[in-house]
Amino acid sequence: MLHRETVIENRPLAPGSDLYRLVLKGAVAATAQPGQFVHLQVGVATDPLLRRPISIAGSDRAKGEVTLFYRVAGRGTALLTRVRAEESLSVIGPVGKGFTVPAAGELLLVAGGIGLFPLLALAAAVDRSRVKVKVLWGGENRSFLETVGRATLFPLGMDYAVATLDGSMGHRGMVTDLLRAELSAELFRKGETGPQNVAGMAAVAGGGRGGQRVIAAAACGPKGMLQAVTGLLLHAGVPVEVSLEERMACGVGACLGCACTVRTADGALARKRVCRDGPVFDGKEVVWVDQD
Amino acid sequence: MTKIDLTTRLGSLQLKNPVLTASGTYGFGEEYKAFYDPSLLGAITVKGITPLPRRGNPAPRVAETPSGMLNAVGLENPGLEAFLATHLPKLEKLNTPVIVNISGFSLDDYRLLAASMPEDSCIAALEVNISCPNIKGGGLAFGTDPRSAEEVLKITRRHTRLPLIAKLSPNVTDIVVMAKAVENGGADIISLINTLLGMRIDLKTGRPVLGNIMGGLSGPAVLPVAVRMVYQVYQAVKLPIIGMGGISSWQDAVEFMLAGAAAVGVGTANFVNPMAPLEILRGLETYCREQGYGAVREIVGLAHR
Ligand SMILES: Cc1cc2nc3c(=O)[nH]c(=O)nc-3n(C[C@H](O)[C@H](O)[C@H](O)COP(=O)(O)OP(=O)(O)OC[C@H]3O[C@@H](n4cnc5c(N)ncnc54)[C@H](O)[C@@H]3O)c2cc1C
Ligand SMILES: Cc1cc2nc3c(=O)[nH]c(=O)nc-3n(C[C@H](O)[C@H](O)[C@H](O)COP(=O)(O)O)c2cc1C
Repeated sequence: MLHRETVIENRPLAPGSDLYRLVLKGAVAATAQPGQFVHLQVGVATDPLLRRPISIAGSDRAKGEVTLFYRVAGRGTALLTRVRAEESLSVIGPVGKGFTVPAAGELLLVAGGIGLFPLLALAAAVDRSRVKVKVLWGGENRSFLETVGRATLFPLGMDYAVATLDGSMGHRGMVTDLLRAELSAELFRKGETGPQNVAGMAAVAGGGRGGQRVIAAAACGPKGMLQAVTGLLLHAGVPVEVSLEERMACGVGACLGCACTVRTADGALARKRVCRDGPVFDGKEVVWVDQD
Repeated sequence: MTKIDLTTRLGSLQLKNPVLTASGTYGFGEEYKAFYDPSLLGAITVKGITPLPRRGNPAPRVAETPSGMLNAVGLENPGLEAFLATHLPKLEKLNTPVIVNISGFSLDDYRLLAASMPEDSCIAALEVNISCPNIKGGGLAFGTDPRSAEEVLKITRRHTRLPLIAKLSPNVTDIVVMAKAVENGGADIISLINTLLGMRIDLKTGRPVLGNIMGGLSGPAVLPVAVRMVYQVYQAVKLPIIGMGGISSWQDAVEFMLAGAAAVGVGTANFVNPMAPLEILRGLETYCREQGYGAVREIVGLAHR
């Protein structure tokens, strides 16, 4: 689980951009699952001290390569930009529990900003001849969406819709608006027929009734967006898996630094480790606002 | 190549080598099995156990600091019953001595914890964490008041025959007073240091970073404080010392041993380099060989010459 990976590429997505693509060659690719991440050592000194978690956005087993995308957010990611091709990085990974990959039906991927990155791995993992994938993606503005989209989503030939807060690209507003439109039929029918089985992705995917869409969803983005998206999807009877973010230290489940709260099947509240029990959780078990 | 004697004697606790893990940084030993066999270490110390399960503090629980980190986990743990039923059997399979860190909020808590830990299992010693607030004593930590610290050790001593390690908090004016207090209370071994109380404020939000506002500082940043305290305690009491606080390399470990530590605990360094404890062990061995020591215990306290 602890590897030295060779840097194949570490470059901004566009000249002057603070968004980077990092391609690593080594042992991680062989077992990487969509939704998992790597815990990267960004420096060689004791400051900054901790590793940085970055999602695996794609993996190529034949080549032994994983692709990561990151945004320069502070000191650690700024240091990471200085690493050059052919140098190596200390990587713990792949770590975490990833997304369920549906075998049939429709898959809605709902992304906020750089939350798109782990969803790219899921999009790549599904059999698109059997699963219809649609991406709903919200971002700050056209410049962000174009920079990231051109390097990732747009060339994939997948159905997508975008929203920007300033209206510079796609729908003016939030990704939840796109989602509400996408689910209008489900939300409407829900009003007529009451709740559907949301016991789990597999159950719903397998149990679709005639004429009804069999949808599953996965989402990643800022917490407020995830909460809203999960609320809408569950209301529409669509099971959703969410990828959570939390500050973490060890990345392997030992330090209990990256806690989140879930409601277990018996209704009790419990803490989970984002790094090891997640980062992907069933949307219906996540407790978004913890009182204590 | 000459074989170096790495065995370590901490009172009645005999270990095959002096490199241990620090409580709360090594889970229940399972997490690091993916990196190496934990039985290569002298012993592993597991997360602090309280009588009842604790969910701990809300997120964020960790914050990075210059060459260190703050944590405010809030003693999340499965509680005594689940520890004995689920975790102890798994620890047994690791084939290595286990030090169980016990944490209480009252003397009764410590009594119960001490009395409930089996004396015929992989548990090699109990580490008494006295850094928690004493609820009945007005919330002041047991570890900052010599009288309550002594009481905790006395009551624990009466309820177990396992070797007792008193884990000292550095958040005191005079560490020597605390060391003498736990010695009087019946501790067999002293471990130090626990984390230093600290906090950070986020400039963007203008609010404390940690959910719990304050947290414990650990990592390389605390090393000189810890070395100083080990040095002082070594001079003041006879009990063997487990030194910890910022140890990331074999050089750090040697420094603690020269200051008087008979064994060392590796904590935060695990998060940065999961192989740190093993690398430190190998480094200690090489150091002894190169310096002409036949046994690692020969270097303990040499800084006091
Ligand atoms: C499971 C997971 C997957 C992630 N995947 C990606 C990704 O694919 N691409 C990407 O650009 N970013 C991703 N992030 C966020 C990324 O980890 C942070 O942006 C990064 O750690 C910031 O480090 P820094 O030194 O630049 O910032 P600083 O603010 O200087 O970091 C200080 C400390 O806070 C932590 N921290 C700061 N922001 C975050 C955050 N948002 N989440 C968790 N810890 C944080 C850092 O790790 C570090 O310990 C992911 C986070 C998690 C938890
Ligand atoms: C995340 C975390 C959790 C900890 N939990 C405990 C605990 O449960 N009981 C305890 O006595 N010490 C606990 N500690 C303190 C460590 O055992 C150790 O004393 C301290 O971190 C200093 O060593 P270090 O700098 O090598 O980490 C914890 C430390 C960290 C970083």
